[in-house]
Amino acid sequence: MADIGKVRIRVPSSIKAGDVVQVRTLVIHPMERIERDKQGKIIQRNYNYINKVVVTYLGKTVATFDTTQSVSENPFFSFTFRATDPGQLRIQFFDTTGGRYEGTTEIRFS
Amino acid sequence: MREDAQITRRALLGGLSAVGVAVAVGGLTVAAPAPAEAQQFGLQETVDAALKRIFGGRAMKDGGGKIKLEIPLIAENGAVVPVAVSVDSPMTPADYVKHIYIVADKNRIPVVARVALAPEGGRAFMGANIRLGETGDVRAIAEQSDGTLWQVKREVKVTVGGCGG
Repeated sequence: MADIGKVRIRVPSSIKAGDVVQVRTLVIHPMERIERDKQGKIIQRNYNYINKVVVTYLGKTVATFDTTQSVSENPFFSFTFRATDPGQLRIQFFDTTGGRYEGTTEIRFS
Repeated sequence: MREDAQITRRALLGGLSAVGVAVAVGGLTVAAPAPAEAQQFGLQETVDAALKRIFGGRAMKDGGGKIKLEIPLIAENGAVVPVAVSVDSPMTPADYVKHIYIVADKNRIPVVARVALAPEGGRAFMGANIRLGETGDVRAIAEQSDGTLWQVKREVKVTVGGCGG
């Protein structure tokens, strides 16, 4: 599981100023499910899953995802933003063990 | 002379143990609340309890013409179900969609995700891959900036459940 925390971001190949752009992103993460013992009782421990995703564009927060264990392994998310200026799009993932994974991409106009 | 030495040693030991206790207590208080807080949003509960907890019994309008919920009718693998929600909204600072919630009725943790959007988003849209434990309704709930709630739901048939827990 050496790949944990690898972030992939996909933006359309050509973006024009003012476009509403749809971005797809994925992070490699186990998103642990709740485990039960033989009696069916939930094992109480701190499960490691992503509970927050923050998207910032030009320093402004565009979207925030609060997620639970009902989200798939290697979670995939998509969202939109209005591309007003060229600049950096940054996506940060936070998990319940304090892990923080980050991906950035440069938005350029063509 | 001898007495002095004893006192200092005692004081020193007392001081050390106090520091030790402080470190132990400090370590615990730092470590303990984190999991509880982290797990607070997605609790094991029924869907009614979840909706009551989050929305406090506020009325929901039928968002049939407003919200578009894209999800397969039949999900062969419940571990990965793609879902996309788009809401008809101008997304101006005066009128935009503040939150989109995804709720899976039959999951043990019914609240799947909450997305907070900003007018800079341009469009009220979100997509994600979610887990579904068994066949049941999936709801998308949109909260507008003025507090109005819109809801749509659709049944998804799950061949192989993917929640485990």
